[in-house]
Amino acid sequence: MNRLYPSRHIAEFRRIFQDPVLFIGLVLVVIFVLIAILSPIYAMVDESRTTEGRELFDRYLNSPVYRTIIVNTLRMGLIVAALGTALGFLIAYVQVKVDVPFKRLIHIVALIPIISPPFALATAVLILFGRNGMISQGWFGVRYDIYGLDGLSLVLTLSYFTVAYMNLKGMLQALDPALDEAATNLGASKWRIFRTVTVPMLIPGIAGSFLLLFVEAIADLGNPLVMGGNYEVLSTRIYVSIVGLYNTTAAAVLSVILLVPSLLVFIVQRYWISRTSVVSITGKPSGVSQQIRHPLVRWPLFAVVMFVVLFILLIYGTIFAGAFTKILNVNNELTLDHFDFVINGYGSEAMKDTTRLAAIATPLAGLLGMIIAFLVARKTFLGRNALDFATMLGIAVPGTILGIGYLLVFNQPNEITLPLVGTIEIIPKLTGGRAIFGGAGAIVLVYVVRSVPAALRSGVAALSQIDPAIEEASISLGADNFRTFMRITLPLIRPAFLSGLIYAFARSMTTISAIIFLTTSRTKIMTHQILNEVENGRYGNAFAYCVILIVIVLVAIGVLSIAVGTTSGAERTMEGGA
Amino acid sequence: MKRLSLVVFCLMIVVAVAPVVTPAPTQVQAQEDTLTVLCTPQEDWCVAMTQAFEEETGIETSYVRMSSGESLARIRATQDDPEFSVWWGGPADAFIAAYEEDLIEPYEPELASVLAPNAVGEDHSWHGVYVGALGFCSNVSFLEELGIDPPTSWDDLLDPALKSNVAMAHPATSGTAFTAFWTIVTLKADEFEAAEEGTGYDEDGMPTQEAIDAAFEYYSELHQNILQYTRSGAAPGQMAGTGEIAVAIIFSHDCVKLQVEGFEGVVVNTFPEEGTGYEIGGMALIKNAPEPEAAKMWIEWALTPEAQVIGQDVNSLQLPTNPDTPVSELSVNLSEVNLVDYNFVAAGMNRVEIVERFDAEIAPQPTE
Repeated sequence: MNRLYPSRHIAEFRRIFQDPVLFIGLVLVVIFVLIAILSPIYAMVDESRTTEGRELFDRYLNSPVYRTIIVNTLRMGLIVAALGTALGFLIAYVQVKVDVPFKRLIHIVALIPIISPPFALATAVLILFGRNGMISQGWFGVRYDIYGLDGLSLVLTLSYFTVAYMNLKGMLQALDPALDEAATNLGASKWRIFRTVTVPMLIPGIAGSFLLLFVEAIADLGNPLVMGGNYEVLSTRIYVSIVGLYNTTAAAVLSVILLVPSLLVFIVQRYWISRTSVVSITGKPSGVSQQIRHPLVRWPLFAVVMFVVLFILLIYGTIFAGAFTKILNVNNELTLDHFDFVINGYGSEAMKDTTRLAAIATPLAGLLGMIIAFLVARKTFLGRNALDFATMLGIAVPGTILGIGYLLVFNQPNEITLPLVGTIEIIPKLTGGRAIFGGAGAIVLVYVVRSVPAALRSGVAALSQIDPAIEEASISLGADNFRTFMRITLPLIRPAFLSGLIYAFARSMTTISAIIFLTTSRTKIMTHQILNEVENGRYGNAFAYCVILIVIVLVAIGVLSIAVGTTSGAERTMEGGA
Repeated sequence: MKRLSLVVFCLMIVVAVAPVVTPAPTQVQAQEDTLTVLCTPQEDWCVAMTQAFEEETGIETSYVRMSSGESLARIRATQDDPEFSVWWGGPADAFIAAYEEDLIEPYEPELASVLAPNAVGEDHSWHGVYVGALGFCSNVSFLEELGIDPPTSWDDLLDPALKSNVAMAHPATSGTAFTAFWTIVTLKADEFEAAEEGTGYDEDGMPTQEAIDAAFEYYSELHQNILQYTRSGAAPGQMAGTGEIAVAIIFSHDCVKLQVEGFEGVVVNTFPEEGTGYEIGGMALIKNAPEPEAAKMWIEWALTPEAQVIGQDVNSLQLPTNPDTPVSELSVNLSEVNLVDYNFVAAGMNRVEIVERFDAEIAPQPTE
């Protein structure tokens, strides 16, 4: 009989088919991945495989100038990934495991950078530490050249470390304190526990954060444009190829080059995690984690974290100050003109449109992320890795390429011709002001595509901490897959789900390069308006936009936290009883 | 019964009128109650223009603002089903390139006759709506600190004291920067021509390769003084205003706009004595435009003095192309500025090659 099922994977497929909800979920996910991620990327990759494209590959890879640019990109990506993951880990560790004051403040400040509208951090850092910076020139009297790698590393680390912080904090909180206690009882020191218990348990999260930060950093466009100086990276090259040289083939070739390191890191990370994964067996932490109180550990860590916190506050303070003054550092007269512009002027439309679209994209991205995470982490079907991989492409490809790909694929209705039935329109025209919803459909789709990978990774990281036996128990007790997912899995990975939602909303509100080609006369997007204001030198308006954007996202985080809840009734009961 | 007969009557009218209305292109105008504009100048100007047009005609007008490179890429990507009907603003060379790619549709507005000959594109493919000259926008206190006067010559920019203290945009993304490059090509060609006839220009009046090479030499020398090539043409002005750099190479009207909008006394606007380049902002009907009649109305209207004066309200102080338009006293008087004989067609034809070479040879070079 065994021959009828040549592989375990196919058997698993049979199980999936038998469960209609799981089956529908899988089909929807596959359709989403094919249409929204793979087809636009394929359109662009196809563009690089022409004769002209092949010649360009040859030319770029043999040119010392382009080799330098590639090395620059990788170096920047690695520095930012390492610094950002380290910083995220440090703050998450201090937040969860060390007894320090101001935890609430530290948490909020660490979350703020995820709401970094493009250009905001870089512009603020230039005002503070630029060649005529308020601090560098004003206090120290040095004309410090922050343009280039050092400035970029600083700004990108600050922009993206929050992803690492949120992932690792979720995982640290999910760690069962009983493990620490057991290790302590067995005579291990705190340092030894940190080294042999905490860190190994966090490796999936650390690696996942490293990957996300790396691909975010090498694909970032806004910051290198503002403060790249002479430090050339691939993303700006791609941008110049499209926007300046009108050469989509060159852009496609450079994107494929940019794609290679992202994919390599991704593969290495998967391999590494699968070898070193450590699973805790309980589902939820029981008992209260014991905090580190040793003064020699506590106060130095506190000092470092507070320095980071103050630095971030300083930068965001600059953004706020810039929003309320005529021209910060030139004419410091207070004014409300910039807010008048955003709230009552022509800027208001963008504010409403962007918020609405992000609000639509957020639940879609969060749920999709968790469903894919569940499928990837819990089911073994043929193409499981491919699904994970394809979903991650949503963030691994530079946004500009996704945008152009969308234009190539969705600027006309997509039809299929079937025998007998004739031609049917399966996807209507999605891009441009005359498409359905005034082109908003494509923008929502891009928002979802860009947000799902983070939700997926935090979902997978959370699931890998939860023993599948709990779900198996649910199935054994007669619940179907859907019920198990909704009642067992989702509540257990709720911190990851919440962080996925928050990330999706913040990401959607702040994304720029992917939607720059998709904004239409009927759908205006805030980040695109910010770009216009920065370009035209109206920094005040740009800062006012940023402030309002930050407020909107903070309100949304509050609403999401209440809606999703940090603790369910059952857990509260348990904690109350404990 | 009455109501039913009314419905039938209305239906009959619709049936009777519909065949007449739909196919006749002249009457389509009545049907077009919307217009979508691709707008390249500063956003506040786009808003003011579209609002004024809407008030004037009752046509609901919306716009998207994009830089000229993005605009061209967008029009090209959506050429099978364009979403824009008219493209307004941005340097003419992008319009010349668009016409060569068959992306815009010639249309001759009535007021084309009042325009200067260089503000009318080949076959009336585009028409000029404003003019502006390049200048140097300098931070006064920074220059004092460096102990130098505001530059009045292109060679002044090569002063070693200005090392890392000059900024301009990247010619690939910015029409401004490309204008600056072609200005040097023209000046070098004039120089060669004065020394020996035939060395600066060929028999067709095109600058010779030697002149172009000489311009590359100038820019590779200037590269040592450039802090950063920005994406947008006007951005270096902001950097000069905030004191990040000493001198920005930008359009003089952008420098004046900075002065009016908060940097008064901070920046000063000067011109190179040997001659400077200028831009003509274009406007064109997009091929297969969804709202062609409304777009034509826009093109007619945008050349009227009433439309051309709108920029002054939002401190966009480019000079109008219609000579009947009153000029703001803040605008730069181009008759007092020495302008080079800027050949837009030659510039447009050489654009791709120059931009790619600049991108490969100059922009990525390390500075010492």
